[in-house]
Amino acid sequence: MAIRVGENDMDIYSRMKLYDWYDIKKVKNKKILVAGAGALGNEVSKNLILSGYENITIVDMDYIVHSNLSRCIFFKRKDANLHRKKAEVIAERLVEINPDAKIRYYVDKIESLDVKNYDIVLGCLDNIASRLYLNSNCYFYHIPYIDGATHGLIGKVQVVIPPETSCLQCGMNATHSKFLEKRFSCTGKNVKYFEPNMPSDINTTSIIAAIQVQEALKITHGMKNYIKNIFYYDGNRNFFSILQLPINPKCPNHNK
Amino acid sequence: MKISVKDAETGNRISMEVDDDNTIEEIIEEAANYWRKNPGAYVIRFGKKILQAENTVKEARLQEEDVIELIPDPEGGKCFQKICL
Ligand SMILES: [Zn+2]
Repeated sequence: MAIRVGENDMDIYSRMKLYDWYDIKKVKNKKILVAGAGALGNEVSKNLILSGYENITIVDMDYIVHSNLSRCIFFKRKDANLHRKKAEVIAERLVEINPDAKIRYYVDKIESLDVKNYDIVLGCLDNIASRLYLNSNCYFYHIPYIDGATHGLIGKVQVVIPPETSCLQCGMNATHSKFLEKRFSCTGKNVKYFEPNMPSDINTTSIIAAIQVQEALKITHGMKNYIKNIFYYDGNRNFFSILQLPINPKCPNHNK
Repeated sequence: MKISVKDAETGNRISMEVDDDNTIEEIIEEAANYWRKNPGAYVIRFGKKILQAENTVKEARLQEEDVIELIPDPEGGKCFQKICL
């Protein structure tokens, strides 16, 4: 069989394939759900498509505003002018990067999706209520859940592999729950939101998103060296740490 | 017994008198109130472990002069956090 000069450069994933563990078929076929299309959702989606994932679903109900543009690689001024939906725009831009990809999007609440249709779920959310919904549903259906979160220059990634690891709820305290009740009460029609204290920072967001997708790749390949349990990054103090969170025997997600 | 609680954000420390049956939750609330922080946005780290809030000091195996740290528990990820008014 003859080979052609420069042939290797025609293969998008030729460099990835140099990793002895990387299996393009496994990556292409995994059904990935990206929950949330904000700053983290943008970065996670970018890294997923560049890593070779082709079956990606994005869910988010928000539309784009100008203040999103400093943190979201896929959003442009014209999208903000038109108040386009975040999930739709990311889906469109991912297909521009890889026309073979099957990208779906839902402009809807996270809670309206059935997580059992997916192989791995990546949480790119901004509130405890939606996180806990994904966490408990993924745990119930034994679907790996990789949760990312940021707060200024601080960020964390929690890797939840049911039934082996602890889950998000294992780390909650009563004050979290008080806030959760408050959020759940925000369902009436005269609800006001304000955009407050600690915006996400693009650099911390990039770090956290990259770790989320790296963990997704490990899980896709059945590797056991995933993070146990929390990657904690503190850009203020210039360190990261892997923190353990044991299963809480009182957590309802482990008694099924 | 006496333990130290460190504020991860400022490096400040306080000394705290605790009993075996005090919970981690109570420590979080006490330290957060002292530093005027929102207790719902923090967890306690002891070495490489996140301490579970409902555990007692005894269950968490804290001992005299141990140093634990109050660390922010990030919740964001989208462009803004939305909070109900
Ligand atoms: Zn749990």
